[in-house]
Amino acid sequence: MLKIENLHVSVDGKEILKGINLNIKAGEVHAVMGPNGSGKSTLSNVIAGRDGYEVTAGGVTYKGRNLLEMSPEERAWEGVFLAFQYPVEIPGVNNTYLLKAGLNAKRKHLGQDELDAMDFMQIVKEKANLVELDHAFLSRAVNEGFSGGEKKRNEIFQMAVLEPSLALLDETDSGLDIDALRVVAGGVNKLRSPDRAVVLVTHYQRLLNYIEPDMVHVLAGGRILKSGDKALALELEERGYDWVLEEANA
Amino acid sequence: MNSTMNETVELDAQLQELLPVIQKGLPGSHESWVRVMRKGALGNFFRQGIPTTRNEAWKYTDVRKYAARLSSVSVDKPASDISVEAISDFYFRDLDCHRVVIVDGRVSADLSSLIGLPAGVRIESIARMLAGEAHLLEPYLHDQHLSGSFAELNTAIMHDGIYIDIPDGIVVEKPIHLLFLSHGRGEGSSHIRNLIVAGEYSQATVIEHFGSLGESRALINVVTDVELHAGARLEHYKLQQSDINEVNIGSVRVHQHRDSYYHSHSVAFGAALSRRDIHVELNGEGAECALNGLYLVGGRQHVDHHTRIDHVRPHCRSRESYKGVIDGRARAVFNGKVVVHKGADQTDSAQSNANLLLSDKAEIDTKPDLEIHADDVKCAHGATVGQLDMNQLFYLRSRGLSMDEARNVLMFAFADEVLAKIKEPEVRRYLEQVAFEKLPCGAGLEGMLV
Repeated sequence: MLKIENLHVSVDGKEILKGINLNIKAGEVHAVMGPNGSGKSTLSNVIAGRDGYEVTAGGVTYKGRNLLEMSPEERAWEGVFLAFQYPVEIPGVNNTYLLKAGLNAKRKHLGQDELDAMDFMQIVKEKANLVELDHAFLSRAVNEGFSGGEKKRNEIFQMAVLEPSLALLDETDSGLDIDALRVVAGGVNKLRSPDRAVVLVTHYQRLLNYIEPDMVHVLAGGRILKSGDKALALELEERGYDWVLEEANA
Repeated sequence: MNSTMNETVELDAQLQELLPVIQKGLPGSHESWVRVMRKGALGNFFRQGIPTTRNEAWKYTDVRKYAARLSSVSVDKPASDISVEAISDFYFRDLDCHRVVIVDGRVSADLSSLIGLPAGVRIESIARMLAGEAHLLEPYLHDQHLSGSFAELNTAIMHDGIYIDIPDGIVVEKPIHLLFLSHGRGEGSSHIRNLIVAGEYSQATVIEHFGSLGESRALINVVTDVELHAGARLEHYKLQQSDINEVNIGSVRVHQHRDSYYHSHSVAFGAALSRRDIHVELNGEGAECALNGLYLVGGRQHVDHHTRIDHVRPHCRSRESYKGVIDGRARAVFNGKVVVHKGADQTDSAQSNANLLLSDKAEIDTKPDLEIHADDVKCAHGATVGQLDMNQLFYLRSRGLSMDEARNVLMFAFADEVLAKIKEPEVRRYLEQVAFEKLPCGAGLEGMLV
């Protein structure tokens, strides 16, 4: 589904990613872990298409297409979803409107009919219940005045409505209490299916207690230093990141 | 001597000849005080001249290229062939209101409807008042505390407008919709004078609404004087959606007595050149005003808002928030002055002006201005100029909105913060609709609003 080859990315002339290789197949859940400043968020942002990241070498293919040539909205239509580390507040724009516009744009792109208001509200309410999001949030402005946990929950709610093929969760677990963490994990687990892939970008192993990854990668200094199964995550939790760095430098 | 100067001198000579003749035939000329007032104002107008950009208050707004429109003044009776259907585009759908329609500067009785006004409330043509009951206007028209050549010209040759008098203690439940329409295609000018006198503890909503039936090259010069007696409350709208060739100039002058409340919503969408001055004097303790403004311009439009709030007495509160979206080669000007006079202690004033520039060629000149002569005051002011927020744009696009759609959504969200302060939902929806239509792909965005 997603193939990252020798990806080099610079921000303001400074190289952040120094040759990333990742192959993520449909049905898989990958965890990308690493210390702060390792390039985790850069990786998520490049995949979602944010401006300001210069790809200096390598490439990313998604469903066989060159992902880097696609606009952010085209990526969304093709099923890429980024749950933001810091969801953006948009005063004056209705939360439900955003989803409806996004979902219908995607359906239009895929040659499907737009959903009528009734069907859409049905989906929205169902998904809101799934992530235990108070229905009052549906008619509020996007993320405006939401607490940190509510924002993250809203991201997962959007993900549930938009049903992406590839979901990237950028530190969605940071700052969540245990209840919110369970809800977020529940949302991701409901999304898991043989034709979807999930990338969890995280600093902590905690989330992986609730979402079992197929692969765990350690990203540090702009490179993937080690990959393994979920046992690697537990080892990182126990021993920290330093031993991986030392092993890599040896 | 260059050609512009030649034209100015020529126009001046033309007006010197024309305006005194027009004055003689205007309503109220049988009253000596009206004659004296008009003559004095005309003298002031000629002394000050049509403002140039050397005049500080008109520094960024060059009105001279439209000045030739002053050489024809529409004092004729309005066209009688306008149907109610033709003007219903300017109605606020289901809003039940009292309505007066003014076509090319003259009140049209046929198109107006004033059924069920509370007892004692008067809504009359200024021309009729000047002709028959001028003495009722005298205390208010005499007071020329804010001058400026267009206001002087207005006093000199005002030919009609609306007089609203609300007796003490009366609440006018239904909004009063004053619909000013341009119908003529010529380059004429009309000089409209409105007067709103709100008695003690009265309450009303007055909507001044400017539009055009088809193309209009008119120059509208409108002055509205507002007198709010103790405890009176007024919601006052200035909605300008004139034809793109029109010039719309106007002043609002507000006198507030003790504990009165004035809430203004000034919205400018149309016109080639639009200039609005609002001057509020907080003359009584506990008086409060809130001035909201929104301008949405593109192409080669020019929009200029000048406001001045005078805190004359202690314990008054003022709030001001103007927002603008400027696209194309349009230019916007905002100048907001707050003056806290000596002794106006416990003044509480806050002012802001926020602008979105959507193109490299768009321009805004903004100047919040604070002048404080008292010690114990709380004042804040500020202006911002920016582009759309890149993080917000990316967020919307990452959810599947196209670049254009995301831009439009953010632009509307920005503008709608002003419209959200409008109390009547029908008026708010109407203005949102007009704003939507100004955008290339604004249709279908209605659902975005919170």
